Amino acid sequence: MSTAHRLLRYLLRYRWRYAAGAGCLVLATGFSLGIPWTVKLAVDALGRSAPVGRYVLIILLLAAAHGAARLGSRFTIIGAGQWVEHDVRADLYAHLQALPPAFYHRRRTGDLMSRASNDIAALRMLAGFGIVMLIGTSLTFLGTLGAMWAIDPWLTLYALAPFPALVLVAKRFNHDVEVRSTAVQEQLGTLSAKVQENLSGMPVVRAYTMEEREIAGFGRLNREYLARSLGLARTQAVAWPMLGFISGLGALIVLWLGGKAVVDGRITLGAFVAFNGYLSYLAWPTIALGWTLANVKRGLASMQRIVEILDEPEPPQPARPAPGMLETGPIEFRHLSFGYEGRGPALSDVSFTVAEGGLVAVVGPTGSGKSTLGLLLCRLFEPPPGSVFIGGVDVRELPLDRLRRSVGYVPQEAFLFSRPLRENVLLADDGLGDDRLEAVGRTAGIEADVAAFPDGWDTVIGERGLTLSGGQRQRVALARALAADPPFLVLDDALASVDAAKEWEILLALRAAVRGRTTLLMTHRLRAAEEADHVVVIDQGRVVEQGRHADLLAAGGLYSRLWRVQQLEDELANA
Amino acid sequence: MHDDEILGKAYDARLMRRIWGHTRPHRGLLLLSLLVFPLATLLELLQPYLVKIAIDEHILRRDWPGLGRIALFFLLTLLALYALRVAQAYLTQLTGQRVMHDLRNALFAHLQRMDAAFFDRHPVGRLMTRVLNDVEAINELFTSGVVSVLGDVFTLTGVVVIMLGMNWRLALVTFALVPVLVLGAGYFRLKARDSYRGVRTRLARLNAFLQESLQGMAVIQLFAQEGRERRLFGSFNADLRRAQFRSTFYDASLYAGVEAIGSAAVALLLWYGGGQVVAGALTFGGLVAFLEYTNRFFLPIRDLGAKYTVMQAAMVSAERIFGLLDTEPAILDRPATGAIVSAPDGTGPAVEFRDVWFAYEDEQWVLQDCSFSVSRGQQVALVGPTGEGKTTVARLMTRAYDVTRGRVLVEGRDVRDWDLRALRRHVGLIPQEVFLFSGTVEDNLRLGRDGAVTADEVESALAAANAARLVAALPRGLQEDLRERGVNLSQGQRQLLAIARALIYNPRVLALDEATSSVDPESEALIRAGLARLVEGRTSVIIAHRLSTIQRADRILVLHKGQVREAGRHAELLASGGLYSRLYELQFGLGRG
Repeated sequence: MSTAHRLLRYLLRYRWRYAAGAGCLVLATGFSLGIPWTVKLAVDALGRSAPVGRYVLIILLLAAAHGAARLGSRFTIIGAGQWVEHDVRADLYAHLQALPPAFYHRRRTGDLMSRASNDIAALRMLAGFGIVMLIGTSLTFLGTLGAMWAIDPWLTLYALAPFPALVLVAKRFNHDVEVRSTAVQEQLGTLSAKVQENLSGMPVVRAYTMEEREIAGFGRLNREYLARSLGLARTQAVAWPMLGFISGLGALIVLWLGGKAVVDGRITLGAFVAFNGYLSYLAWPTIALGWTLANVKRGLASMQRIVEILDEPEPPQPARPAPGMLETGPIEFRHLSFGYEGRGPALSDVSFTVAEGGLVAVVGPTGSGKSTLGLLLCRLFEPPPGSVFIGGVDVRELPLDRLRRSVGYVPQEAFLFSRPLRENVLLADDGLGDDRLEAVGRTAGIEADVAAFPDGWDTVIGERGLTLSGGQRQRVALARALAADPPFLVLDDALASVDAAKEWEILLALRAAVRGRTTLLMTHRLRAAEEADHVVVIDQGRVVEQGRHADLLAAGGLYSRLWRVQQLEDELANA
Repeated sequence: MHDDEILGKAYDARLMRRIWGHTRPHRGLLLLSLLVFPLATLLELLQPYLVKIAIDEHILRRDWPGLGRIALFFLLTLLALYALRVAQAYLTQLTGQRVMHDLRNALFAHLQRMDAAFFDRHPVGRLMTRVLNDVEAINELFTSGVVSVLGDVFTLTGVVVIMLGMNWRLALVTFALVPVLVLGAGYFRLKARDSYRGVRTRLARLNAFLQESLQGMAVIQLFAQEGRERRLFGSFNADLRRAQFRSTFYDASLYAGVEAIGSAAVALLLWYGGGQVVAGALTFGGLVAFLEYTNRFFLPIRDLGAKYTVMQAAMVSAERIFGLLDTEPAILDRPATGAIVSAPDGTGPAVEFRDVWFAYEDEQWVLQDCSFSVSRGQQVALVGPTGEGKTTVARLMTRAYDVTRGRVLVEGRDVRDWDLRALRRHVGLIPQEVFLFSGTVEDNLRLGRDGAVTADEVESALAAANAARLVAALPRGLQEDLRERGVNLSQGQRQLLAIARALIYNPRVLALDEATSSVDPESEALIRAGLARLVEGRTSVIIAHRLSTIQRADRILVLHKGQVREAGRHAELLASGGLYSRLYELQFGLGRG
């Protein structure tokens, strides 16, 4: 379906508002055309020395009716445009929610934000004011021409003689302006690239004392930008007054030939005055025409950019969300191989089992593929069929939200929302009470910190609130994962920013709290692995060793080397 | 509230004075456009008067040739008006664009003076907005703000004078509606402004929510909270729509109201003016001209609202621009000094840290009471567990930051007593990440010293850095364009170019932060040999990540917890079995096994 069609579907939802608005515009145009006509009658009456009182009254009534109709048209159409904006934005948001992490890896947040704000604003301009202008100017053109024709067809033709020239001139200048403003935009791009490069390279600029050279370089680009801007300004300075000049020519013709028509008695003086009035009605829509067309063009381009996002395929969702959580059970990886799009394999033939209620630690150097296990288990990325099982069922066959509700997942990058702590922790289920909040806060080792915050659990955090340290954020994220009491727990280097002593304390508390939960713990700190029932060592996506801590240590492989690294690090930290 | 949400006054005398100051070099242009404006207004207001004469003197008297003369005159005014309008439009743009050009230059040059700590506090994106977008908003002052308000003032004054002159009674009748207009427009203007502010804050809130959602989408999905977040978003969205509609209500009412009052004025004119025509106190042409003048009287008043918004935005931008220009760099030259310390013939250390304390923020000490010295020609390797300490040492040597306490001395003189540029010519800092500018390879090699380096020097530096072969392999050699900061080069190639660049810069003292990124063995060998030539005979402080570097160093300083804890040669330190031996095992023993 084309972009315009997609937009039309949104517009059609509000067809009655648009229809009412168009009706109002017809009335408004009619009333406004009535005013010069009444002036004509009044002037002619004056010529006969007849009283003009009732014309005055009619004008007052027409003015009031015109104002009311004009208001009505704006409320209905611009209001409808705002509804369209509202609907598109809501649909866009709902769709964004359904898109998988792979999409967010591909797209930058800035670009998505720009589509959701700038492009939607352009769409509103099109669906609201743009449509008012489109309908309004067309009606004004037609109505005014009709009224002028009714007064004197020949004079109408003469008066309009310069207008084809106007169209030609506008067309030529539009092209010129477009070429020149493209040149200006290009130079602006160059200039902003220069500023960006300079600011990001500031340490080098400083180290090599390049300041003067940079200033000179920027100066050259800036001068070129000035030159191009002035080129555009010149074209516009010549073009814009041309519109006034040509419509002035129309007025001149009316003065001259219309005057002759009055002299010859073909038209009355009143008609002459009204004709002048109508001619001035034509000037504004002519000027606004270019603006309106550009507006429509821009709005459609923006809709295209929004449709691009709306057309991103959603991963398949089960027909009806299944509430509740899974029963507890084992987690199993069977000959799992996986690679991210456009990159080499992240995991190759990984097999191991976390027994029901057990704790398995996965260790390995950075980039070994540990995190991928958690992402696949929660289906943030789709694992191949028959490779990841939870409670004996392939995760791909489980309803997505049931799976995710059942797994408490704590990523290394603890993302928290700029809201009160309470809402962050009770994200999964805000029906839980303060008891639960206190309990999980204690387990996650954050309760002492929270007690020290100004508003306790109601403290707002983030950009517009309290800034938490990395360790605090991770502990809040841990509490959040524990809050709904899920049967499965995945901790992905979840305490990396918490200092070692505190981590140990939390792990002990956690050990008691997670009893009965099947837990998968990815960590580069081997202290935590010591506590596990079973340790899996991964390097470059492959399982290189697995077994109990003591056995692995004795084996003298990668695990024992990593253990030595940690020992050295601990010694250094305490030195 | 975010600074992007604030909408202040539309006119701020203090800011206007400063902008006025920036127009000083272009006062001639400004004066010229001030001359053009009244002239254009005059011609514009002449036209209805010509129509009056045409009606009264010619049309009503059936004088066709006379009408031709008036028409000719009308044509002349049209032509003259066109010329004046062209001049006017171009002059205002010329002034505005030139002022913008100067402001951009001033901002950019000012940014070059700012210290490293300033850039830590101000993200690149926001500074770019200052230099590009905010400056652009100032232009609006010239094209559609002050200047066009000025034009409106001329028009209004002109219309009032002419109308009073033509028929003061009728003029006063027309103006009878002005108080209604001013009161009504003022009221709706205020309401429109408040409601517009409501739209902006709601939009900002909605966008902040959206941004956070986009960043935290994985969390929302993991906790299966799509429904709840969608409802929250929906409420923000609905709230915004309501605010927009309220704003439309006031905007549209204002617009329609002014138009209706304009039409009412026409009715009033017909009623009173018609009586005067009948009584013979006013001509037909006079009445028609009056109708036209009334029209021109109400137009500028109607458009005042749009100009108000433009002015407001321009004032906010001006505030931000001047705020930036008024921020003084924390690191400044000592005015009294200047000369580079003459050839190092003394016996004192080339670089010395004396009881240096330093923190980037508050009391989080990166260096605490750190002391060491480097003798002339010595190669010193800094090692230590990861942390800010080592890089900070290199930064303090070039005075990218100032010490919090203690002193850093270069050639026996406190770095704060050096001329900044001379210091940075003397001590070359080679950062870890190789930053290449867009431009040719040669531009990137010469950097600051375009005139002072001969082609031979460039060639020999390339050879010494083992980079000659890689440059020769580029299709256009030294003239090859490095697009987007050298993305078409590999890590190893970039490092070789950085070595050549440092050789050309040829500082007496080198502060070198070795890159950690691993490269292929062949490149590694080339880099190692190139680095050896770079540090040869040069006082060097190297943040070492290479085994070869620490083995070759004259002295190794072990930096830990902000202090030098051990010092000596590689073999000695290793034998003593202290911190260094553990670090060594960690970095070169186990980790790479």
